[in-house]
Amino acid sequence: MAVLFSQSELHCGFICCREAVDSFFIGHYLYINNPAGEVNLEYLESKLESLDGEELMNIKDNINSLFQQCILALGEEHQIKVVNALQTLCALIRGVHQKNKSSSGFDIINMLMGFDKAELRMKNLMESLDSILCGEASESLKSLCLKLLLCLVTVTDNISQNTILEYVMINSIFEAILQILSDTPSRRVHGHDAVVLLALLVNYRKYESVNPYIVKLSIVDDETTLNGMGLVISQALAEYNRRYREKEEENQGGFFSTFTSMVGNMFIADADEKISVQTNEAILLALYEAVHLNRNFITVLAQSHPEIGLESPPVSLVPTTPTTPLGTTPPSLDIMGTTELPLDPNMQTSNLLITFLKYSSIVMQDTKDEHRLNSGKLCLIILTCIAEDQYANAFLHDDNINFRVNLHRMPMRHRKKAGDKNIPSRPLVCAVLDLMVEFIVTHMMKEFPMDLYLRCVQIVHKLICYQKKCRVRLHYTWRELWLAFISLLKFLMSNETGLLAKHNIFTLTLMVVNLFNMFITYGDTFLPTPSSYDELYYEIIRMHQVFDNLYSMVLRLSTNAGQWKEAASKVTHALVNVRAIINHFNPKIESYAALNHISQLAEEQVLEVVRSNYDTLTLKLQDGLDQYERYSEQPKEAAFFKELVRSISINVRKNVALNTLSQEVLLREFSTIS
Amino acid sequence: MGDAVAELVPVDSLDCSESLSPQVSSELQHSCISEIDGEVPAIIDPEVAKKACEDVLEKVKLMHTAVIDSEDQVDCSEMKNVSWTGSELTKGDIMHDARSAGVEISSGMPAKIEEEECLMDLNTVKTARRRQKNNSAKQSWLLRLFESKLFDISMAISYLYKSKEPGVQAYIGNRLFYFRNEDVDFYLPQLLNMYIHMDEDVGDAIKPYIVHRCRQSINFSLQCAWLLGAYSSDMHISTQRHSRGTKLRKLILSDELKPAVKKKELPPICSAVDTGLSPSKRTHQRSKSDATVSISLSSSLKRTASNPKVENEDEELSSSSESLERLFVSQPVRLAPEKEFIKSLMGIGKRLATMPTKEQKTQRLISELSLLNHKLPARVWLPTASFDHHVARVPHTQAVVLNSKDKAPYLIYVEVLECENFETSPVPVRIPETRIRSTRSVENLPECGITHEQRASSFTTVPNYDNDDEAWSVDDIGELQVELPEGHTNSCDNISQFSVDSITSQESKEPVFIAAGDIRRRLSEQLAHTPTTFRRDPEDPSAVALKEPWQEKVRRIREGSPYGHLPNWRLLSVIVKCGDDLRQELLAYQVLKQLQAIWEQERVPLWIKPYKILVISSDSGMIEPVVNAVSIHQVKKQSSLLLLDYFLQEHGNYTTEAFLTAQRNFVQSCAGYCLVCYLLQVKDRHNGNILLDSEGHIIHIDFGFILSSSPRNLGFETSAFKLTTEFVDVMGGLDGDMFNYYKMLMLQGLIAARKHMDRVVQIVEIMQQGSQLPCFHGSSTIRNLKERFHMSMTEEQLQMLVDQMVDGSMRSITTKLYDGFQYLTNGIM
Repeated sequence: MAVLFSQSELHCGFICCREAVDSFFIGHYLYINNPAGEVNLEYLESKLESLDGEELMNIKDNINSLFQQCILALGEEHQIKVVNALQTLCALIRGVHQKNKSSSGFDIINMLMGFDKAELRMKNLMESLDSILCGEASESLKSLCLKLLLCLVTVTDNISQNTILEYVMINSIFEAILQILSDTPSRRVHGHDAVVLLALLVNYRKYESVNPYIVKLSIVDDETTLNGMGLVISQALAEYNRRYREKEEENQGGFFSTFTSMVGNMFIADADEKISVQTNEAILLALYEAVHLNRNFITVLAQSHPEIGLESPPVSLVPTTPTTPLGTTPPSLDIMGTTELPLDPNMQTSNLLITFLKYSSIVMQDTKDEHRLNSGKLCLIILTCIAEDQYANAFLHDDNINFRVNLHRMPMRHRKKAGDKNIPSRPLVCAVLDLMVEFIVTHMMKEFPMDLYLRCVQIVHKLICYQKKCRVRLHYTWRELWLAFISLLKFLMSNETGLLAKHNIFTLTLMVVNLFNMFITYGDTFLPTPSSYDELYYEIIRMHQVFDNLYSMVLRLSTNAGQWKEAASKVTHALVNVRAIINHFNPKIESYAALNHISQLAEEQVLEVVRSNYDTLTLKLQDGLDQYERYSEQPKEAAFFKELVRSISINVRKNVALNTLSQEVLLREFSTIS
Repeated sequence: MGDAVAELVPVDSLDCSESLSPQVSSELQHSCISEIDGEVPAIIDPEVAKKACEDVLEKVKLMHTAVIDSEDQVDCSEMKNVSWTGSELTKGDIMHDARSAGVEISSGMPAKIEEEECLMDLNTVKTARRRQKNNSAKQSWLLRLFESKLFDISMAISYLYKSKEPGVQAYIGNRLFYFRNEDVDFYLPQLLNMYIHMDEDVGDAIKPYIVHRCRQSINFSLQCAWLLGAYSSDMHISTQRHSRGTKLRKLILSDELKPAVKKKELPPICSAVDTGLSPSKRTHQRSKSDATVSISLSSSLKRTASNPKVENEDEELSSSSESLERLFVSQPVRLAPEKEFIKSLMGIGKRLATMPTKEQKTQRLISELSLLNHKLPARVWLPTASFDHHVARVPHTQAVVLNSKDKAPYLIYVEVLECENFETSPVPVRIPETRIRSTRSVENLPECGITHEQRASSFTTVPNYDNDDEAWSVDDIGELQVELPEGHTNSCDNISQFSVDSITSQESKEPVFIAAGDIRRRLSEQLAHTPTTFRRDPEDPSAVALKEPWQEKVRRIREGSPYGHLPNWRLLSVIVKCGDDLRQELLAYQVLKQLQAIWEQERVPLWIKPYKILVISSDSGMIEPVVNAVSIHQVKKQSSLLLLDYFLQEHGNYTTEAFLTAQRNFVQSCAGYCLVCYLLQVKDRHNGNILLDSEGHIIHIDFGFILSSSPRNLGFETSAFKLTTEFVDVMGGLDGDMFNYYKMLMLQGLIAARKHMDRVVQIVEIMQQGSQLPCFHGSSTIRNLKERFHMSMTEEQLQMLVDQMVDGSMRSITTKLYDGFQYLTNGIM
């Protein structure tokens, strides 16, 4: 065999004649069928690459027949033949694509299978893959099948231009994916690949045609499957969180050692930048699609399981094989597999939502690089979907479901690092609000992430709308949110010129002011105590300078005939109530101070004045404060997702190496089988 | 004639006839015959052996028809007329028991005498000769008693326990079949304890009945198995393994006691039954008896042809195979699901006990239960419930961990779907958690409403669920794109707070002005309108959950449940105790139940609330929680009020109807429980163990220290019962009418209880057999218990006793000391 192979290699290498190419493919065909044979895939791939377009056209028939042979071999009993066939198919698809990057999808189909046969071939291929995935085949074989599918799906940068996928749409392998996810042992091994594959397939020509995977995903209601999917996602995210924390601790150790030597002068932000762990957008995309498309998946978010990662002994995680497809190591421990939770009193219970919130808190802290920015944006989009969902809101606000959520907080010079242990156990919505507040106060920078800010404020708005509608009185320290909003307004004003050049800051301003209006005019429906309403007034009065300045700015812009005239004038109208409060109470406070001969009033005194002067204040009810535009992916977000999927595709393709499972491993395994 | 019958006699009777003298045996036959004739239409469980002989005995019966008819007439007509005479007391044993049977017996006794006379007359012809020989009149008296309609289960148990005569025991064993299932069920702990710990004859007498009932009911089987396990646990481990109780338990758990449907299966079952018995001449009879059992059972099945088990067998298999076998594969499906369910609940309790803080326990509990939910609905049920049902869902977020120092008892609410018979009705189809959302979010769309109703109505035959589902979700994808309208509809109902005018004016674009003061006022008013909720305290999560009115909770959980729309939806609750021995609790429950029945019978308006106990093993079980009740400790801690002030706050001012009713309830329950505490010597009476319900009743819980046991034997709590000044204040003070009423109730209650002392003592006495429970510590438990009924005192003396006890308890410094002690050690106010 080896002799034959090297001969054909020689032939192909030097004389690119038809016979040589023929013999090359014949040779290849032979070793597909040889149980002990070995496939030199890199060679095959590079061979195909080395041919120019015309030459490739010449050997089209050979490729077609090789392709056909491979598909036939998939049904073979000898597993090694199946392995060879799968790998050869991978190489063929890749090789042909590499060669024909510019050519249309149809040409590629023609090249691989021939137009007339394509439908039948692909049908056979998909059926074979489906039966291997659902059957009793060995895990390595199944894994290889998924690799082939991932390879097929990511072969083009833009997934929607991958015409072969039409056949994957017609011959659905959705059920096979679900089966992998619902079965614990197979989920443990293939869950990650299956979820990524699903996420990608859902994004094929999402906006142009009816994608059966979207339809099917949206109606899955089998809880085991959905939980399995949630668990795969949760584990991937938790793994990220764990690794991030490990790195952070490493860094801090180093940091503290240097700290002793160099007194004072420290740049925490710099130290922080060193911590970067590759984010996993593919998994995040899967989470998004699940949350966005499948209403049943929302319950999975709240499905409790013990915390993965943090408390678990890292020893069990380190030795996992480094050869997993996407560069991430799927965590080896799987807790949901057993119906009983493991007995460990120190283990905090967690759920997907908590893991996701922690993940978001890490990802969102640094939005400087493109990847992180996209990840952060996707996190916020997912949160938007969650914040709009009735059921999700119900458990977010459920007083009985309390959790301690340790969000990652960016170390900053002017604030102390809050002790993790002091966080009280609260309804989950508090963690969401904390996350939003955290984002708002930490991202007021020159490169202002306007889009993220808008999403952030919208999420808060949606949550408050739910609270108002359902009369949920959340015991949350609203003051933190108000102060975050006020400092945001202050930042927007002080950087007016810089920001106005790039963004319409008035949309954001209007949203923030209207949130204040929500609190002012509807506070009775959702604030926890009467004194929290007083506090709201106190903070507005205390920070009246900010509102005064804001008012003069928007007034100035709305009277000027500039491009912001209309936007700014909306803000002036929205400010009516805030201004009414300031104008109503400030004189009263001053006269109180004068009367009692106090220069600086204490908070309690101001609150006293506020309490006794409510009745003479009239407020204006604003329209539509509790209405919001529901999230819709199309058309607004379509471009974002196209780009995201493209980058995920490239990333996945890079990681699905052909030799993912090394030949030796496979041979060892299958020689014992056959 | 007597000889002829003797050969064909039902096997049950054979047991008796063998050991009794031939005369007695013929009398017993006679009794059987008359029994059958008189009661055939009323028999629920056809006494199988007799059925088998029915035809043969036909002639005999015909001969007696006239006699029996006249007997019955006598029985009815003369029931109430003749007054009681003391002369019968000389009959000793029987009379003693008759008295304990209560009012009915005492008024019925004359009738018995009349009946006796009639029988004597009629029987003289046939049995005069034998009668003369039979010099012991006792046996016949006993027989008359057993025959009589006044012979109730309580007496049966008592005779079973006291009689040393194997014939009598065997007769009663047979007689058990004639009592209503519910009546016998009450004495199940006694029966089983006798089975385990008493001699073989008693065991043999009881066993056929137990086996018969186990065949009929899964629930009964499991209860028996659990109780057998629990009451065998005090035996030495080596004897335990070979004890009758353990063997029977194994037999039940092996799930071989299936309803006898197929004849082929029966012989092996019978032999399995036999293995538990001593190899002697009995074996032969026993197997014969069992064979007749099976034959007559199957024949009766054929005759009636309405046995649901026969008809539904296939259906059951298919339905259970879907939801159960998937979950509990490879185990016999009859008992396994419930066993599994109980096991997982206990497992949760065990794991919770290892968590350090209450908060962690609660979190863990919620997540464990949410996992459990995945396996529901299934053919599982709460044994504490009084109706047949399937558990559909455990609303996990509602569960709470109860206050306990080292154990982790927890309270769960359980959504169940009532059904006709949990063994045969199909298990409900699982509805995903999110289903409720679809009903909510699309409420407004008429066509969706229809599908929803269709779903509800076609629930039992729901294979079309999925189609339905598809329709929903496809709509949904459309919805996902543009869902602005929902926002609009929402905002309409949102502004409900403001008048309709404001909405219209909003439309006309006129600005709406509101006063800030109004907003602030509404806020404080709305918060003030929900005063009855307790504060959420992570260290006492149960307080809030228990304070919420039951109806309110049911409504809320129903709203949030995917099964809530089903008409047969019910909410139950149960406390799962793991690591606690509930056998004493069960004993206390039985005594309380008996006292309650006695007081009701004697028309004494004392109020007590026995709560159901399920003993699962000697260290685990379940308790039916008292709804709408919180502990006095929680009341005081949360409200920081004196009890009287709390009553005023909850029920209204002194003169209001509501307050007066609550006060009366308080007094009646107080008197009831004071007597209970006195009679049973209930100790550890701190405020955490006394509940107050929403109607003003107090309810004592936790009977961990009763009879001979007291906490740590500190010698605290020497007073008869707990009566603090706060309690007296609620009753209106020492001079109030209500306080006198309280004392009078106690006296009446004590007199009534005394009258039926044996019914109470019997329960305790039987359970003492072979028991190592602390409440039986020492040798004088029963004697002391009997003494507390003060049989010898006159009513005046009793009155003085009550006064003394009340005074003593009032003055008792130990009560106060004990409360202080509890506060220091356990933080209970």
